[in-house]
Amino acid sequence: MNAAMRPSRVPRELARKLLETLGDVVGVKTVVLFTADGFEVASHSAEVGAPARIAAIGSSLSALGSAISAEAGLADFDCTTIQSVNGTIVITRVEGPHAMSLAVVADEAVTLGQLLWAVRRCCTALAKLMNE
Amino acid sequence: MNDVAEGEFKIVFTGPMGAGKTTAIAAISEIDPVRTEVANNDRMSHEKASTTVGFDYGRITLPGGGVVRLYGTPGQPRFRFMWSIVGRGAAGAIVLLDATQPGALVQMDLFVDAFRPLVPEGALVVGVGRTTEDGALNSDTFASRLEARGILAPVLSVDVRRKADVMLLVQTLACILETQNGNAYA
Repeated sequence: MNAAMRPSRVPRELARKLLETLGDVVGVKTVVLFTADGFEVASHSAEVGAPARIAAIGSSLSALGSAISAEAGLADFDCTTIQSVNGTIVITRVEGPHAMSLAVVADEAVTLGQLLWAVRRCCTALAKLMNE
Repeated sequence: MNDVAEGEFKIVFTGPMGAGKTTAIAAISEIDPVRTEVANNDRMSHEKASTTVGFDYGRITLPGGGVVRLYGTPGQPRFRFMWSIVGRGAAGAIVLLDATQPGALVQMDLFVDAFRPLVPEGALVVGVGRTTEDGALNSDTFASRLEARGILAPVLSVDVRRKADVMLLVQTLACILETQNGNAYA
């Protein structure tokens, strides 16, 4: 992706450092911060190449989350958790001016409650960073 | 009949970003369409303010009573993973193109090749927009390209903002399906 396509005022390196803190949670494999239209902004991953595709698919899931929330008369999308046979994916909206979301991929070693708490804390820090 | 009840079927609107898929579904849907549009950050590729990243959904009832579920795909190839998801179980596909976009013929090839394997043989219609604008290719050019590739598909010049034009695309596809499958799609 061309850097010019990304929101220009996002401090990407600082954002990446915040994502690294999620890497300390047992089981977490990949963390991707992405725009609403699926561009990777920052990532922390053990797998080369995965973040860009996770960003695109994650943005579709966020949009579908918003669509079904609206259809059900609920407020806008906030978070979705996908439980796979051997892992968990959490996609959470990041509050702020840039309409971004965070996707976290973890294997079976993760404890869901611990992951959700760490994700929420990271999103709060990212939101604060975006608003500075 | 592609996993849908008789008299009710699914068609897919596809094509590149800016071809008018969301507009086309909104033009004919009898329900408020489901949209998954978000702000477009990739202004280098397209000037559009918004882009579909999930799918569009609408519904119409044909004069004969058949119900058509209308699905629209994302247009950006980055979201290609959604094409096969949205295309699954479709009775046919409508490929929309913008005749003024550079590489419109290549874009047609891309979407035709992606969706032909997803729909029954021959269940494909091409709608070309903005053919009367300066520098635009005419619809015959698109038809000739398909013919040269041995692909049989109607090519219609359309304005996707006009309900009658979009309905013409849907009815053309319904006619093809009816010919192939009897009157179950009427």
